[in-house]
Amino acid sequence: MHFGGLHEDETLGKAYDRRLMKRFIGYLSPYRREAAGAVSLLPLVAAAKLAQPWLLKLAIDRHIVAGRMEGLPLLTLWFLLLIVAESLFTYLEVWLLQHLGQRVMQDIRLELFAHLQRMPASFFDRTPTGSLVTRLTSDVEVLGEMFAAGIVTVVGDVLVLAGIVGIMLWMNPRLSLVTFTVLPCLVWIAFTFRRRMREAFRAVRARLADLNAFLAESIGGMGVIQLFNRQRTEQEEFTRLNASYRDANLPVISWDASLYAAVETLSSVAVGLIIWYGGGEIVKGALTFGALVAFIQYIEKFFSPIRDLSAKYSVMQGAMAALERIFHLLDAETTDQIPLNPPLKKGGGGGFESIEFKDVWFAYQGEEYVLKGFNLVIRRGETVALVGETGGGKTTVTRLLSRLYEVSRGAITIDGTDIRDIPLRELRRRIGVVLQDPYLFSGTVEYNISLGDDAARGRVEKAARMVGADRFIGRLPHAFREEVRERGVNFSAGERQLISFARAVAYDPEILVLDEATASVDSEAERQIQEGLRGLMAGRTALVVAHRLSTVRDAGRIVVVHRGEKAEEGSHRELLRRRGLYYRLHQLQFRD
Amino acid sequence: MDSHQGLGIGRTNLSLQHGHIAVMRNPLTRQGKSITKKAGDRTDVTCDEATSRCSISELSLLHSYLRQNRRSYLLGGVLLFGTNAFALLIPWLLKLAVESLQHPSPRGRSAAFYAMLIIGAAAVQGVIRIFSRTTLLNAARRIEYLIREELYARLLSLDLPYFSRERTGDILSRFSNDLTNVRMLAGFGVLTTINTLIVYAAALALMARISPVLTLSAVIPFPLMILVVKRISASMFRRSRRAQEELARLSSKVEENASAAMLIRAYCREEGELGAFGDINREYLASNMAMARLRGLMIPVMTATGALGTLIVLFLGGSRVIAGELTLGDFVAFNGYLTMLIWPTIMMGWILNLMQRGAASMSRLTQVLDARPTVTEPAPPAEIGRVQGKIEFRNLFFAYDAEPRLQDISLTVPAGMTLGIVGPIGSGKSTLARLVPRLYPVADGMLFIDGVDVNKIPLRRLRDAIGFVPQESFLFSRTVRENIGYGREGAKDAEIEAAARMAGFASEVTRFPDGYGTMVGERGTTLSGGQKQRASIARALIKDPAILILDDPLSAVDSETEETILANFASYYRGRTVLIISHRLSALRGCDLIVVLDDGRIVEQGSHEELLALDGRYAATWREQQLRAEIERY
Repeated sequence: MHFGGLHEDETLGKAYDRRLMKRFIGYLSPYRREAAGAVSLLPLVAAAKLAQPWLLKLAIDRHIVAGRMEGLPLLTLWFLLLIVAESLFTYLEVWLLQHLGQRVMQDIRLELFAHLQRMPASFFDRTPTGSLVTRLTSDVEVLGEMFAAGIVTVVGDVLVLAGIVGIMLWMNPRLSLVTFTVLPCLVWIAFTFRRRMREAFRAVRARLADLNAFLAESIGGMGVIQLFNRQRTEQEEFTRLNASYRDANLPVISWDASLYAAVETLSSVAVGLIIWYGGGEIVKGALTFGALVAFIQYIEKFFSPIRDLSAKYSVMQGAMAALERIFHLLDAETTDQIPLNPPLKKGGGGGFESIEFKDVWFAYQGEEYVLKGFNLVIRRGETVALVGETGGGKTTVTRLLSRLYEVSRGAITIDGTDIRDIPLRELRRRIGVVLQDPYLFSGTVEYNISLGDDAARGRVEKAARMVGADRFIGRLPHAFREEVRERGVNFSAGERQLISFARAVAYDPEILVLDEATASVDSEAERQIQEGLRGLMAGRTALVVAHRLSTVRDAGRIVVVHRGEKAEEGSHRELLRRRGLYYRLHQLQFRD
Repeated sequence: MDSHQGLGIGRTNLSLQHGHIAVMRNPLTRQGKSITKKAGDRTDVTCDEATSRCSISELSLLHSYLRQNRRSYLLGGVLLFGTNAFALLIPWLLKLAVESLQHPSPRGRSAAFYAMLIIGAAAVQGVIRIFSRTTLLNAARRIEYLIREELYARLLSLDLPYFSRERTGDILSRFSNDLTNVRMLAGFGVLTTINTLIVYAAALALMARISPVLTLSAVIPFPLMILVVKRISASMFRRSRRAQEELARLSSKVEENASAAMLIRAYCREEGELGAFGDINREYLASNMAMARLRGLMIPVMTATGALGTLIVLFLGGSRVIAGELTLGDFVAFNGYLTMLIWPTIMMGWILNLMQRGAASMSRLTQVLDARPTVTEPAPPAEIGRVQGKIEFRNLFFAYDAEPRLQDISLTVPAGMTLGIVGPIGSGKSTLARLVPRLYPVADGMLFIDGVDVNKIPLRRLRDAIGFVPQESFLFSRTVRENIGYGREGAKDAEIEAAARMAGFASEVTRFPDGYGTMVGERGTTLSGGQKQRASIARALIKDPAILILDDPLSAVDSETEETILANFASYYRGRTVLIISHRLSALRGCDLIVVLDDGRIVEQGSHEELLALDGRYAATWREQQLRAEIERY
């Protein structure tokens, strides 16, 4: 599965895709009222806009040219009302659209996030985090633009344009046709210039990306640059990129200035045409002065929507591409998704007698087996320590038991029931896992122990006491309410471990699976961790990946995992006596 | 989030953790510090970007850049004057046309004549408009270019302590966001200001010629509008920053969720996570809605103000036409000028906000431009011939982040000697190695090369004499050839290949799809850690230095490969001083002298045999590693 891509936003295709739109419309259905409101406001806004020049026409013809003051104040009042109405309706319109759009965006983000929660852990090994973040942020933002400046406003623009065409034709068809001769030119300019601008802008973005990448790399490799005295060559390369970025911008500026000036000029040309032809019509008596002024005003209102039409076109293109990617992620599942609740075969819950790994094989990728026919029996109340060199497969054993990954071949059973037949939630509820990397979330210490679980929340302080974490937590300014920053950077490695022990205790699991962290800590922290471990394992069935002598000694049984298989098994003394692999490992790793 | 990750490549490569460097007894540092402090004084006081309160005096630096481009700005001003002159003709021509239609006289010009003039004026103003905009906006791009050049040159001169103190993302944001704000000010800001002044002066004068009283009453809503637009755009800016922060929070929640995927599944916290995300999502929604309300306000305010002017003209102007004080042509022209004023008026509010933002950004840029390195060139430099390679540490003391990292290091490494350095993590091995090329500032009288204090040797000369292989091998996103050739400017292909061969890298390079032309880091051709390390060794070897420093150069390959590679270029050591750090003692067996560091001090020293005989830490570590090798073979 591949979501990312360096230039994914560059491949713009269709501005409207029925299949995507149909699916997208589904997201609008909870907000029918807002949508209906926004749509019904469109004709009102258009009407208020269109009526203003008409009132001006009436004022000129009936009062100003006719020299009749009477009635002009009333007309002015009407004009004021129209301004107020237009402002109000526009405000409501924008507000409703944003309201609708923002809510739909919120829903989509939530759906995406919920979807991610259903994906198995292995999905995150394969998918770059950055691309997931992009789906939930930038791509959804692009959809928001579609609401702010896309499809609905286009409908409003079309209404206004149609209204103007209608009124102008009705006032004077010949003059209208003459005036409209500038339109093809306007549309051509708007679309051609905009396209050129888009192309030029694409070059700008590529150059900017190069420039920023170079800069970021320079900052990262500043030591190397300075050690090799290459400041001059780096500056030269930077100058080249910087100049090329500057120069790439120049066409954008030129096209933009040209578009701006051309539209302005065309609008004046249209005014000139109205005067030229309309003047003749006035002389013939076929046109009033008021109509002439109204014509000029209408044609001015005609220009800006057409100028912006092409910009809206690219917004729609971007939105379609974003929808495509979002739906792609939402559809990416099935093959490897773990069903949350497989059919229940035997009654779960309560005590168990034994856990068995039967000829378990596992590969993270293809045929590279990390476990090759691994066998192990763990009985209730027993502590089993897994030892061995890194890469031997110890950690994998712990991951398979709670089905963070699925066995490739063989089976793991609890009292004879394959774990794949136990509802996933129930299985995981019974197993408390302490991962090797003691990950902390941003939030409070309390949250990091309970993870927001209601039952666990009541046991937070007791759990902290049991593993001896209460001492350092008590010294924190806000104790259990102390803020944990991202990834727990404001806590030491030892403290992070103790918090993750407390977390496992707070969940009060039947079976404890512990992958001891290898991070080196000072001797005081080490002592605390050892104490914590004792509190953690007291009275529990435990499977421990051990890096400490104390843990190994406390374990009832030690299993040496070597190259994906069980190499030796027995008690600490037995294994030492055997003078095999464990003996050597012991000399190496467990010299306290 | 791609947008912020796209810019952020990893952390400063050669740096230690965050923190300040404290060097005792070094006059150079004090001098350096006082300079940075001055910069700090100047910039920290006045600016608070969030509230857009910032003294405009911050813009004095921008002023000098504007002056450098004064011809463009002058030309731009003249062009703006020209384009507006023609634009302002149009309503007047309209007036004449309407008057000629109302009172046709055989001697007067026809409406068609004025229509032609309108079209002509429109065409001329359009053409000049294009040039006025490109002249000014291009000038702003040139200023942006110049500032960016200076910023980069400044970065190149700054030392590693600076880069470990500042976050990469923050520096990048100054290069992008702040520079954009300044450019906007120098471009659109200046353009709009000049344009507004011209249009205002001319249109108001022409309107006043038609009717002073009407002019006064028509522009009544304008000051109000400027204020309202300024207020709205300022609070939109604030809100959008808030929304940006919320979006950043949302991104990091997604990031956190993906990174902790296993933990979340193990604890069945999927629903809890969804709830937490839902909260952030709602808050983001709320601040977006606040933005939406402001944006919703902006459009009607803009249309209403314009229409209000028309309303006033309609009533007051209309009455005057009826009373015979004005002609219908006056009425039409007046309305035309009023329309011309609306857009510049709206822009004024925006400009006022932009100026404050630009000032805040400029001050952030000044901070970078005023930063000074603590590692400085000697003045006056010592006369030094060809570097022989004798290194002497005399009671060397070095503190980092106010914490002593190296203490009492006294050691003489004669030219041509191979010195091995061992010790646990954090014992100061890498720090020691980095002091030699002055990657970190070292106090006077503590470190000597060929008997000369390093602080007296010109930096360039010093670093030219040293080949350094850092612990984390940093390669550029360029070809393998360029990366190895980085060690010496103008290196020939044959030399590059020889260096790669010596570093045990050549046979693998030939297997790459494009050989030495393979891009490092491009998709699909990522180099392994071991390959990067060997490329980095080749880069140092090709430099042909008097002193070669290898900081754990082959940690990513297994011990046998390491020994083979090191043996491979052992002949290269001849005539050079070599400092080699390794975790694997077997790699150091052949060193003339080995020092054992612990907690920043030398605790043992001697040859391999002597250290074994001593039966101290070195001997213990040696036995441990022998045992590990045995298990590996088990």
